[in-house]
Amino acid sequence: MAEEKVSKKPLPEITPVNQPFWDGAKAGKLMMQKCASCSTWVFPPRPVCGDCASEKLEWVPVSHKGKIFCFTIIREVVGTALRGFGPDIPYVTAWVDLDDGPRLCSNVIGCPIDQVKIDMPVEVVFEDSGDGITLPKFKPAA
Amino acid sequence: MSIKGKTAVVGIGETPTDRLGSKPGEPRKSTAEYLAWAARLAMEDAGLSKKDFEGQGLAAIYTTNHSQPFWPEEVAAILGITPGVSLAGGNGGASSVSLLGHAAAAISAGLCDLVLVIAAASPFGERGGHRGAHADTRDYEMPFGVMGPNCKISFVMSRYMHESGMTEDHFGKIAVTGRYHASLNPGAYLRKPITIDDYKKSRMISDPIRLFDCVMPANGGKAYIMTSAERAKSMRKPPVYLLGWGECNNASFGPRYRANPLITGITHAGKRAFEMSDVAHKDIRCLNLYDDYIPVVMVQIEDLGFCGRNDKTFFEKTDFTFKGDLPIQTSGGMINCGQPSTTGGMLHVIETVRQIRGECGERQVPNIKFGISTGVGAVNYGKNFGCTAAAILGSQS
Repeated sequence: MAEEKVSKKPLPEITPVNQPFWDGAKAGKLMMQKCASCSTWVFPPRPVCGDCASEKLEWVPVSHKGKIFCFTIIREVVGTALRGFGPDIPYVTAWVDLDDGPRLCSNVIGCPIDQVKIDMPVEVVFEDSGDGITLPKFKPAA
Repeated sequence: MSIKGKTAVVGIGETPTDRLGSKPGEPRKSTAEYLAWAARLAMEDAGLSKKDFEGQGLAAIYTTNHSQPFWPEEVAAILGITPGVSLAGGNGGASSVSLLGHAAAAISAGLCDLVLVIAAASPFGERGGHRGAHADTRDYEMPFGVMGPNCKISFVMSRYMHESGMTEDHFGKIAVTGRYHASLNPGAYLRKPITIDDYKKSRMISDPIRLFDCVMPANGGKAYIMTSAERAKSMRKPPVYLLGWGECNNASFGPRYRANPLITGITHAGKRAFEMSDVAHKDIRCLNLYDDYIPVVMVQIEDLGFCGRNDKTFFEKTDFTFKGDLPIQTSGGMINCGQPSTTGGMLHVIETVRQIRGECGERQVPNIKFGISTGVGAVNYGKNFGCTAAAILGSQS
Protein backbone atom coordinates (compact mmCIF):
# COMPACT_ATOMS: atom_id res chain seq x y z
CA MET A 1 0.00 0.00 0.00
CA ALA A 2 1.25 3.44 -0.87
CA GLU A 3 2.48 5.48 2.03
CA GLU A 4 -0.38 7.55 3.32
CA LYS A 5 -0.02 11.27 3.28
CA VAL A 6 0.02 12.48 6.86
CA SER A 7 -2.88 14.82 7.53
CA LYS A 8 -3.23 15.54 11.19
CA LYS A 9 -6.70 17.00 10.83
CA PRO A 10 -9.39 14.47 9.99
CA LEU A 11 -11.08 14.89 6.62
CA PRO A 12 -14.52 13.78 5.46
CA GLU A 13 -14.94 10.45 3.74
CA ILE A 14 -16.30 11.13 0.27
CA THR A 15 -19.21 8.80 -0.45
CA PRO A 16 -21.68 8.59 -3.36
CA VAL A 17 -24.24 10.22 -1.06
CA ASN A 18 -22.19 13.27 -0.05
CA GLN A 19 -19.93 13.79 -3.07
CA PRO A 20 -21.91 16.67 -4.67
CA PHE A 21 -21.50 18.70 -1.47
CA TRP A 22 -17.71 18.36 -1.54
CA ASP A 23 -17.47 18.82 -5.33
CA GLY A 24 -19.51 22.00 -4.90
CA ALA A 25 -17.24 23.31 -2.15
CA LYS A 26 -14.19 22.73 -4.35
CA ALA A 27 -15.90 24.77 -7.08
CA GLY A 28 -16.75 27.57 -4.61
CA LYS A 29 -20.44 26.73 -4.32
CA LEU A 30 -22.45 25.57 -1.32
CA MET A 31 -24.64 22.72 -2.57
CA MET A 32 -27.31 20.95 -0.53
CA GLN A 33 -30.12 18.47 -1.02
CA LYS A 34 -33.72 19.54 -1.38
CA CYS A 35 -36.58 17.06 -1.52
CA ALA A 36 -38.39 17.26 -4.87
CA SER A 37 -41.50 15.75 -3.28
CA CYS A 38 -41.99 17.79 -0.11
CA SER A 39 -39.52 20.68 -0.66
CA THR A 40 -37.76 20.32 2.68
CA TRP A 41 -34.00 20.74 3.00
CA VAL A 42 -31.99 17.63 3.79
CA PHE A 43 -28.62 18.02 5.48
CA PRO A 44 -26.27 16.23 6.20
CA PRO A 45 -26.72 14.36 2.90
CA ARG A 46 -29.02 11.32 2.90
CA PRO A 47 -30.22 8.73 0.38
CA VAL A 48 -33.86 9.47 1.30
CA CYS A 49 -35.79 12.44 2.63
CA GLY A 50 -36.01 12.34 6.43
CA ASP A 51 -39.51 13.77 6.34
CA CYS A 52 -41.38 12.05 3.49
CA ALA A 53 -38.96 9.18 2.64
CA SER A 54 -38.87 10.22 -1.02
CA GLU A 55 -35.75 9.25 -2.95
CA LYS A 56 -36.17 12.27 -5.22
CA LEU A 57 -33.55 14.49 -3.66
CA GLU A 58 -32.08 17.25 -5.82
CA TRP A 59 -28.78 19.02 -5.32
CA VAL A 60 -29.34 22.77 -5.42
CA PRO A 61 -27.16 25.79 -4.61
CA VAL A 62 -27.97 27.35 -1.27
CA SER A 63 -27.36 30.84 0.12
CA HIS A 64 -23.79 31.64 1.11
CA LYS A 65 -25.09 33.88 3.86
CA GLY A 66 -26.56 33.05 7.23
CA LYS A 67 -26.40 33.83 10.90
CA ILE A 68 -24.90 32.20 13.95
CA PHE A 69 -27.46 30.10 15.85
CA CYS A 70 -25.02 29.18 18.62
CA PHE A 71 -21.30 28.63 19.03
CA THR A 72 -18.53 27.48 21.30
CA ILE A 73 -14.88 28.33 21.75
CA ILE A 74 -12.72 25.22 21.76
CA ARG A 75 -10.09 25.55 24.47
CA GLU A 76 -8.79 21.99 24.82
CA VAL A 77 -7.98 19.01 22.64
CA VAL A 78 -9.83 15.88 23.80
CA GLY A 79 -8.59 12.47 22.70
CA THR A 80 -6.15 11.75 19.88
CA ALA A 81 -8.20 11.92 16.67
CA LEU A 82 -8.36 15.73 16.68
CA ARG A 83 -4.93 16.63 18.03
CA GLY A 84 -4.13 18.28 14.69
CA PHE A 85 -6.33 21.15 15.87
CA GLY A 86 -4.05 21.82 18.86
CA PRO A 87 -2.17 24.73 17.24
CA ASP A 88 -5.50 26.43 16.31
CA ILE A 89 -6.75 26.63 19.92
CA PRO A 90 -8.66 28.72 20.88
CA TYR A 91 -10.99 28.62 17.87
CA VAL A 92 -14.71 28.95 17.22
CA THR A 93 -17.06 26.24 16.01
CA ALA A 94 -20.64 27.28 15.36
CA TRP A 95 -24.00 26.22 14.05
CA VAL A 96 -24.85 28.57 11.20
CA ASP A 97 -28.44 28.84 9.98
CA LEU A 98 -28.21 29.65 6.28
CA ASP A 99 -30.63 32.23 4.87
CA ASP A 100 -33.36 30.12 3.26
CA GLY A 101 -31.46 26.92 3.95
CA PRO A 102 -30.45 24.36 6.53
CA ARG A 103 -28.17 24.53 9.56
CA LEU A 104 -24.48 23.82 9.05
CA CYS A 105 -21.74 23.15 11.58
CA SER A 106 -18.50 24.93 10.75
CA ASN A 107 -15.88 27.38 11.97
CA VAL A 108 -16.11 31.15 12.29
CA ILE A 109 -12.84 32.69 11.17
CA GLY A 110 -11.56 36.10 10.18
CA CYS A 111 -12.48 37.92 13.38
CA PRO A 112 -11.32 37.90 17.02
CA ILE A 113 -13.05 35.15 19.00
CA ASP A 114 -14.47 37.59 21.54
CA GLN A 115 -16.41 39.35 18.77
CA VAL A 116 -18.37 36.23 17.79
CA LYS A 117 -22.01 36.54 18.91
CA ILE A 118 -25.26 34.61 18.51
CA ASP A 119 -27.35 36.02 15.61
CA MET A 120 -24.24 37.58 13.99
CA PRO A 121 -24.55 37.64 10.15
CA VAL A 122 -21.86 35.56 8.45
CA GLU A 123 -20.92 34.46 4.94
CA VAL A 124 -19.15 31.46 3.49
CA VAL A 125 -15.44 31.47 2.83
CA PHE A 126 -13.98 28.38 1.16
CA GLU A 127 -10.76 27.06 2.67
CA ASP A 128 -8.51 24.62 0.82
CA SER A 129 -7.31 21.99 3.28
CA GLY A 130 -4.36 21.17 1.01
CA ASP A 131 -5.49 17.53 0.92
CA GLY A 132 -7.91 17.71 -1.98
CA ILE A 133 -10.83 18.81 0.19
CA THR A 134 -12.27 22.31 0.41
CA LEU A 135 -14.02 23.17 3.67
CA PRO A 136 -16.80 25.78 3.78
CA LYS A 137 -16.12 28.09 6.72
CA PHE A 138 -17.69 31.39 7.76
CA LYS A 139 -16.53 34.95 8.33
CA PRO A 140 -18.45 38.02 9.44
CA ALA A 141 -20.70 39.20 6.58
CA ALA A 142 -19.38 42.18 4.65
CA MET B 1 -51.25 -5.04 26.12
CA SER B 2 -49.34 -2.82 28.50
CA ILE B 3 -46.18 -3.78 30.35
CA LYS B 4 -47.29 -1.62 33.29
CA GLY B 5 -46.48 -3.37 36.57
CA LYS B 6 -45.87 -6.73 34.85
CA THR B 7 -42.20 -6.88 35.77
CA ALA B 8 -39.85 -5.72 38.49
CA VAL B 9 -36.18 -5.09 39.08
CA VAL B 10 -35.10 -7.65 41.67
CA GLY B 11 -31.33 -7.41 41.60
CA ILE B 12 -28.75 -4.67 41.18
CA GLY B 13 -24.98 -4.86 40.99
CA GLU B 14 -22.47 -2.07 40.76
CA THR B 15 -18.70 -2.42 40.95
CA PRO B 16 -16.79 0.51 42.41
CA THR B 17 -15.83 2.95 39.66
CA ASP B 18 -12.19 3.91 39.37
CA ARG B 19 -9.69 5.43 36.99
CA LEU B 20 -7.14 2.65 37.37
CA GLY B 21 -4.65 2.77 34.55
CA SER B 22 -4.97 6.55 34.19
CA LYS B 23 -1.51 6.95 35.75
CA PRO B 24 1.61 4.88 35.01
CA GLY B 25 1.97 1.85 37.27
CA GLU B 26 -1.67 1.72 38.34
CA PRO B 27 -3.29 -1.69 38.03
CA ARG B 28 -5.72 -2.19 35.17
CA LYS B 29 -8.84 -4.30 34.94
CA SER B 30 -10.42 -5.40 31.70
CA THR B 31 -14.02 -4.95 30.61
CA ALA B 32 -14.43 -8.73 30.96
CA GLU B 33 -13.43 -8.60 34.65
CA TYR B 34 -15.87 -5.76 35.36
CA LEU B 35 -18.65 -7.69 33.59
CA ALA B 36 -18.09 -10.80 35.68
CA TRP B 37 -17.91 -8.73 38.87
CA ALA B 38 -21.12 -6.75 38.15
CA ALA B 39 -23.02 -9.93 37.20
CA ARG B 40 -21.97 -11.65 40.45
CA LEU B 41 -23.05 -8.65 42.55
CA ALA B 42 -26.47 -8.45 40.84
CA MET B 43 -27.07 -12.20 41.21
CA GLU B 44 -26.10 -12.10 44.90
CA ASP B 45 -28.45 -9.16 45.44
CA ALA B 46 -31.31 -11.12 43.84
CA GLY B 47 -30.45 -14.38 45.58
CA LEU B 48 -29.82 -16.06 42.22
CA SER B 49 -26.90 -17.90 40.72
CA LYS B 50 -25.52 -18.36 37.23
CA LYS B 51 -27.48 -21.64 36.86
CA ASP B 52 -30.76 -19.70 37.13
CA PHE B 53 -29.91 -17.86 33.90
CA GLU B 54 -29.65 -20.88 31.63
CA GLY B 55 -32.08 -20.35 28.75
CA GLN B 56 -33.08 -16.96 30.17
CA GLY B 57 -32.55 -13.42 28.87
CA LEU B 58 -29.26 -11.59 28.58
CA ALA B 59 -29.09 -7.96 27.47
CA ALA B 60 -25.60 -6.64 26.83
CA ILE B 61 -24.87 -3.01 26.06
CA TYR B 62 -22.36 -2.12 23.35
CA THR B 63 -19.59 0.02 24.74
CA THR B 64 -16.79 2.22 23.42
CA ASN B 65 -14.13 -0.44 23.09
CA HIS B 66 -16.56 -3.27 22.40
CA SER B 67 -18.93 -2.54 19.55
CA GLN B 68 -18.21 -5.60 17.47
CA PRO B 69 -21.41 -7.07 16.03
CA PHE B 70 -21.43 -10.20 18.23
CA TRP B 71 -20.81 -8.39 21.51
CA PRO B 72 -23.91 -9.85 23.28
CA GLU B 73 -22.65 -13.37 22.45
CA GLU B 74 -19.16 -12.46 23.65
CA VAL B 75 -20.65 -11.25 26.94
CA ALA B 76 -22.51 -14.58 27.31
CA ALA B 77 -19.19 -16.35 26.74
CA ILE B 78 -17.44 -14.14 29.31
CA LEU B 79 -20.16 -14.83 31.88
CA GLY B 80 -20.42 -18.51 30.96
CA ILE B 81 -24.18 -18.56 30.45
CA THR B 82 -26.38 -19.83 27.61
CA PRO B 83 -29.14 -17.29 27.03
CA GLY B 84 -32.42 -18.30 25.44
CA VAL B 85 -33.15 -14.67 24.57
CA SER B 86 -30.38 -12.28 23.58
CA LEU B 87 -31.07 -8.56 23.67
CA ALA B 88 -28.60 -5.79 22.89
CA GLY B 89 -28.29 -2.19 23.96
CA GLY B 90 -27.31 -0.03 21.01
CA ASN B 91 -28.68 3.28 22.26
CA GLY B 92 -25.51 4.55 23.89
CA GLY B 93 -26.17 6.19 27.25
CA ALA B 94 -29.91 5.57 26.89
CA SER B 95 -29.46 1.79 26.66
CA SER B 96 -29.95 0.93 30.35
CA VAL B 97 -33.31 2.67 30.46
CA SER B 98 -34.33 1.44 26.99
CA LEU B 99 -33.62 -2.13 28.03
CA LEU B 100 -35.96 -1.88 31.04
CA GLY B 101 -38.78 -1.76 28.51
CA HIS B 102 -37.33 -4.29 26.09
CA ALA B 103 -36.68 -6.78 28.90
CA ALA B 104 -40.15 -6.20 30.35
CA ALA B 105 -41.67 -6.89 26.93
CA ALA B 106 -39.73 -10.15 26.58
CA ILE B 107 -40.78 -11.30 30.06
CA SER B 108 -44.41 -10.19 29.66
CA ALA B 109 -44.64 -12.05 26.36
CA GLY B 110 -43.42 -15.21 28.04
CA LEU B 111 -40.15 -15.49 26.12
CA CYS B 112 -38.23 -15.75 29.37
CA ASP B 113 -38.63 -15.28 33.09
CA LEU B 114 -35.41 -13.47 33.96
CA VAL B 115 -33.30 -10.90 32.12
CA LEU B 116 -29.82 -9.87 33.17
CA VAL B 117 -29.04 -6.41 31.79
CA ILE B 118 -25.35 -5.70 31.93
CA ALA B 119 -22.64 -3.28 30.83
CA ALA B 120 -19.03 -2.56 31.66
CA ALA B 121 -16.19 -0.52 30.28
CA SER B 122 -12.56 0.02 31.02
CA PRO B 123 -11.47 3.09 29.07
CA PHE B 124 -8.36 3.49 31.25
CA GLY B 125 -7.67 -0.22 31.47
CA GLU B 126 -7.55 -1.18 27.83
CA ARG B 127 -6.95 0.37 24.47
CA GLY B 128 -8.05 -0.40 20.98
CA GLY B 129 -11.22 -2.03 19.83
CA HIS B 130 -13.73 -0.58 17.44
CA ARG B 131 -14.18 3.17 17.63
CA GLY B 132 -16.24 4.05 14.57
CA ALA B 133 -17.80 7.49 14.30
CA HIS B 134 -21.30 8.36 13.11
CA ALA B 135 -20.98 9.38 9.44
CA ASP B 136 -22.33 12.89 10.16
CA THR B 137 -19.69 13.36 12.84
CA ARG B 138 -16.90 11.97 10.65
CA ASP B 139 -17.79 14.05 7.57
CA TYR B 140 -19.36 17.24 8.92
CA GLU B 141 -18.07 17.80 12.47
CA MET B 142 -14.58 16.35 12.93
CA PRO B 143 -13.11 18.17 9.89
CA PHE B 144 -14.16 21.43 11.59
CA GLY B 145 -12.53 20.49 14.89
CA VAL B 146 -15.74 19.66 16.79
CA MET B 147 -14.16 18.28 19.94
CA GLY B 148 -16.67 15.53 20.78
CA PRO B 149 -19.59 15.82 23.20
CA ASN B 150 -18.02 18.71 25.19
CA CYS B 151 -18.29 20.84 22.09
CA LYS B 152 -21.68 19.55 20.96
CA ILE B 153 -23.33 20.17 24.33
CA SER B 154 -21.66 23.59 24.42
CA PHE B 155 -23.68 24.46 21.31
CA VAL B 156 -26.87 23.51 23.15
CA MET B 157 -25.88 25.27 26.37
CA SER B 158 -24.86 28.42 24.49
CA ARG B 159 -28.30 28.61 22.90
CA TYR B 160 -30.03 27.67 26.18
CA MET B 161 -28.37 30.58 27.99
CA HIS B 162 -29.24 32.91 25.10
CA GLU B 163 -32.94 31.98 25.06
CA SER B 164 -33.58 31.47 28.80
CA GLY B 165 -31.30 34.11 30.27
CA MET B 166 -29.97 31.52 32.70
CA THR B 167 -26.54 32.24 34.09
CA GLU B 168 -23.70 30.32 35.70
CA ASP B 169 -25.59 30.59 39.01
CA HIS B 170 -28.39 28.40 37.65
CA PHE B 171 -26.03 25.73 36.30
CA GLY B 172 -23.84 25.99 39.40
CA LYS B 173 -26.77 25.24 41.69
CA ILE B 174 -27.37 21.91 39.95
CA ALA B 175 -23.64 21.06 40.11
CA VAL B 176 -23.50 21.88 43.84
CA THR B 177 -26.61 19.78 44.55
CA GLY B 178 -25.16 16.77 42.73
CA ARG B 179 -21.88 17.01 44.60
CA TYR B 180 -23.72 17.37 47.92
CA HIS B 181 -25.53 14.09 47.24
CA ALA B 182 -22.22 12.50 46.19
CA SER B 183 -20.75 13.53 49.54
CA LEU B 184 -23.46 11.36 51.18
CA ASN B 185 -22.92 8.42 48.80
CA PRO B 186 -20.04 6.11 49.79
CA GLY B 187 -20.02 4.75 46.21
CA ALA B 188 -19.41 8.14 44.56
CA TYR B 189 -16.00 9.03 43.18
CA LEU B 190 -15.94 12.81 43.75
CA ARG B 191 -17.18 13.42 47.30
CA LYS B 192 -15.78 16.76 48.45
CA PRO B 193 -18.60 19.32 48.57
CA ILE B 194 -18.29 22.34 46.25
CA THR B 195 -19.77 25.84 46.19
CA ILE B 196 -21.23 27.82 43.31
CA ASP B 197 -18.03 29.85 43.40
CA ASP B 198 -15.98 26.66 42.90
CA TYR B 199 -18.18 25.90 39.89
CA LYS B 200 -17.62 29.37 38.42
CA LYS B 201 -13.88 29.05 38.92
CA SER B 202 -13.63 25.61 37.32
CA ARG B 203 -11.68 25.48 34.07
CA MET B 204 -13.42 26.57 30.86
CA ILE B 205 -13.30 23.63 28.44
CA SER B 206 -15.51 24.71 25.55
CA ASP B 207 -17.43 27.92 26.29
CA PRO B 208 -19.79 27.92 28.10
CA ILE B 209 -19.03 24.34 29.30
CA ARG B 210 -16.76 24.27 32.34
CA LEU B 211 -14.99 21.32 33.94
CA PHE B 212 -17.70 21.02 36.62
CA ASP B 213 -20.38 20.73 33.91
CA CYS B 214 -18.76 17.59 32.55
CA VAL B 215 -19.02 13.91 33.32
CA MET B 216 -15.79 12.10 34.11
CA PRO B 217 -14.75 8.91 32.27
CA ALA B 218 -14.13 5.95 34.58
CA ASN B 219 -13.81 2.17 34.59
CA GLY B 220 -16.55 -0.01 36.01
CA GLY B 221 -19.41 -2.43 35.51
CA LYS B 222 -23.11 -2.39 36.39
CA ALA B 223 -25.99 -4.84 36.06
CA TYR B 224 -29.63 -5.28 36.99
CA ILE B 225 -31.99 -8.25 36.92
CA MET B 226 -35.67 -8.18 35.99
CA THR B 227 -38.33 -10.81 36.43
CA SER B 228 -42.11 -11.14 36.30
CA ALA B 229 -44.15 -9.38 39.00
CA GLU B 230 -45.31 -12.80 40.16
CA ARG B 231 -41.84 -14.29 40.60
CA ALA B 232 -40.56 -11.02 42.06
CA LYS B 233 -42.66 -11.55 45.19
CA SER B 234 -40.54 -14.51 46.27
CA MET B 235 -37.15 -12.89 45.70
CA ARG B 236 -34.71 -11.77 48.38
CA LYS B 237 -35.24 -7.99 48.08
CA PRO B 238 -38.48 -5.97 47.80
CA PRO B 239 -39.48 -5.74 44.12
CA VAL B 240 -39.25 -2.39 42.36
CA TYR B 241 -41.86 -2.48 39.61
CA LEU B 242 -41.57 -0.98 36.14
CA LEU B 243 -44.77 1.08 35.94
CA GLY B 244 -44.18 3.32 32.97
CA TRP B 245 -41.72 3.39 30.13
CA GLY B 246 -41.08 5.23 26.90
CA GLU B 247 -38.36 5.54 24.31
CA CYS B 248 -37.82 8.00 21.46
CA ASN B 249 -35.03 7.99 18.91
CA ASN B 250 -34.04 10.46 16.20
CA ALA B 251 -36.51 13.09 17.40
CA SER B 252 -36.72 16.53 15.82
CA PHE B 253 -38.65 19.46 17.16
CA GLY B 254 -39.16 21.85 14.29
CA PRO B 255 -37.76 21.09 10.81
CA ARG B 256 -35.15 18.32 10.76
CA TYR B 257 -32.69 20.58 9.00
CA ARG B 258 -33.01 23.30 11.64
CA ALA B 259 -34.40 21.68 14.79
CA ASN B 260 -34.83 23.25 18.22
CA PRO B 261 -31.99 21.72 20.27
CA LEU B 262 -33.55 22.79 23.59
CA ILE B 263 -36.30 20.17 23.40
CA THR B 264 -35.28 16.50 23.43
CA GLY B 265 -36.93 13.15 22.77
CA ILE B 266 -37.35 12.85 26.55
CA THR B 267 -40.47 14.97 25.95
CA HIS B 268 -42.08 12.06 24.06
CA ALA B 269 -40.48 9.24 26.07
CA GLY B 270 -41.47 10.86 29.38
CA LYS B 271 -45.04 11.52 28.25
CA ARG B 272 -45.46 7.85 27.30
CA ALA B 273 -43.99 6.74 30.63
CA PHE B 274 -46.33 9.00 32.62
CA GLU B 275 -49.38 7.94 30.59
CA MET B 276 -48.58 4.24 31.02
CA SER B 277 -47.94 4.50 34.75
CA ASP B 278 -50.85 6.76 35.80
CA VAL B 279 -48.41 8.21 38.35
CA ALA B 280 -48.79 11.97 38.91
CA HIS B 281 -45.81 14.30 38.74
CA LYS B 282 -46.31 15.26 42.38
CA ASP B 283 -45.87 11.63 43.46
CA ILE B 284 -42.47 11.28 41.80
CA ARG B 285 -40.06 11.87 44.64
CA CYS B 286 -36.79 11.21 42.91
CA LEU B 287 -35.48 12.16 39.46
CA ASN B 288 -32.32 10.39 38.37
CA LEU B 289 -31.62 12.03 35.04
CA TYR B 290 -28.90 11.20 32.58
CA ASP B 291 -26.16 13.70 33.29
CA ASP B 292 -23.32 13.78 30.84
CA TYR B 293 -23.49 17.56 31.36
CA ILE B 294 -25.27 19.87 33.80
CA PRO B 295 -27.45 21.66 31.18
CA VAL B 296 -28.69 18.24 29.98
CA VAL B 297 -30.21 17.65 33.44
CA MET B 298 -32.00 20.99 33.31
CA VAL B 299 -33.41 20.54 29.81
CA GLN B 300 -34.81 17.13 30.85
CA ILE B 301 -36.57 18.60 33.90
CA GLU B 302 -38.35 20.88 31.41
CA ASP B 303 -38.94 18.03 28.92
CA LEU B 304 -40.57 15.88 31.60
CA GLY B 305 -42.99 18.66 32.45
CA PHE B 306 -41.81 19.41 35.99
CA CYS B 307 -41.58 23.07 34.96
CA GLY B 308 -42.12 25.25 31.91
CA ARG B 309 -39.58 26.01 29.20
CA ASN B 310 -36.75 28.34 30.21
CA ASP B 311 -38.31 28.61 33.69
CA LYS B 312 -35.52 30.47 35.46
CA THR B 313 -37.61 31.14 38.54
CA PHE B 314 -38.37 27.44 39.02
CA PHE B 315 -34.66 26.61 38.99
CA GLU B 316 -33.99 29.41 41.47
CA LYS B 317 -36.75 28.50 43.93
CA THR B 318 -36.74 24.70 43.93
CA ASP B 319 -34.81 22.73 46.54
CA PHE B 320 -33.39 19.81 44.54
CA THR B 321 -31.74 18.06 47.50
CA PHE B 322 -32.90 14.66 48.77
CA LYS B 323 -34.95 16.30 51.55
CA GLY B 324 -36.26 19.04 49.26
CA ASP B 325 -39.17 19.82 46.93
CA LEU B 326 -37.94 17.79 43.96
CA PRO B 327 -34.94 15.55 44.70
CA ILE B 328 -32.69 15.06 41.68
CA GLN B 329 -29.43 13.18 41.09
CA THR B 330 -29.56 11.60 44.56
CA SER B 331 -26.52 9.41 43.87
CA GLY B 332 -24.50 12.45 42.84
CA GLY B 333 -25.05 11.44 39.22
CA MET B 334 -22.52 10.22 36.71
CA ILE B 335 -20.81 13.60 36.96
CA ASN B 336 -19.66 12.59 40.45
CA CYS B 337 -19.81 8.79 40.24
CA GLY B 338 -17.98 8.47 36.91
CA GLN B 339 -19.05 7.32 33.47
CA PRO B 340 -17.72 3.96 32.31
CA SER B 341 -18.79 4.64 28.71
CA THR B 342 -22.34 3.43 28.00
CA THR B 343 -22.42 1.68 31.40
CA GLY B 344 -22.65 5.04 33.13
CA GLY B 345 -26.36 5.57 32.58
CA MET B 346 -27.24 2.42 34.51
CA LEU B 347 -26.35 4.38 37.64
CA HIS B 348 -29.68 6.16 37.30
CA VAL B 349 -31.69 2.92 37.17
CA ILE B 350 -29.78 1.45 40.12
CA GLU B 351 -30.15 4.62 42.23
CA THR B 352 -33.92 4.79 41.74
CA VAL B 353 -34.19 1.11 42.73
CA ARG B 354 -32.09 1.77 45.85
CA GLN B 355 -34.15 4.81 46.82
CA ILE B 356 -37.43 2.92 46.45
CA ARG B 357 -36.04 0.01 48.47
CA GLY B 358 -34.93 2.47 51.16
CA GLU B 359 -31.26 1.49 50.93
CA CYS B 360 -29.76 4.96 50.52
CA GLY B 361 -28.64 5.71 54.07
CA GLU B 362 -27.74 9.35 54.63
CA ARG B 363 -29.14 10.44 51.26
CA GLN B 364 -32.41 8.50 51.54
CA VAL B 365 -35.42 10.40 50.19
CA PRO B 366 -38.19 10.16 52.85
CA ASN B 367 -41.52 8.51 52.01
CA ILE B 368 -40.66 7.64 48.45
CA LYS B 369 -42.91 5.35 46.42
CA PHE B 370 -42.13 6.42 42.86
CA GLY B 371 -39.08 7.63 40.99
CA ILE B 372 -38.08 8.31 37.39
CA SER B 373 -34.87 7.44 35.58
CA THR B 374 -33.83 8.66 32.16
CA GLY B 375 -31.15 7.88 29.63
CA VAL B 376 -29.91 9.77 26.60
CA GLY B 377 -27.33 8.87 24.00
CA ALA B 378 -25.56 10.32 20.97
CA VAL B 379 -25.69 14.00 20.06
CA ASN B 380 -27.15 14.32 16.57
CA TYR B 381 -25.87 16.79 14.01
CA GLY B 382 -27.32 20.23 14.49
CA LYS B 383 -29.79 19.20 17.19
CA ASN B 384 -29.56 17.11 20.36
CA PHE B 385 -29.91 13.54 21.52
CA GLY B 386 -30.42 10.73 19.04
CA CYS B 387 -31.58 8.25 21.69
CA THR B 388 -33.77 8.95 24.69
CA ALA B 389 -35.67 6.80 27.19
CA ALA B 390 -37.56 7.32 30.45
CA ALA B 391 -38.84 4.86 33.05
CA ILE B 392 -41.07 5.24 36.09
CA LEU B 393 -40.36 2.75 38.86
CA GLY B 394 -42.36 2.16 42.02
CA SER B 395 -42.79 0.06 45.13
CA GLN B 396 -46.28 -1.12 44.19
CA SER B 397 -47.45 -2.77 40.96
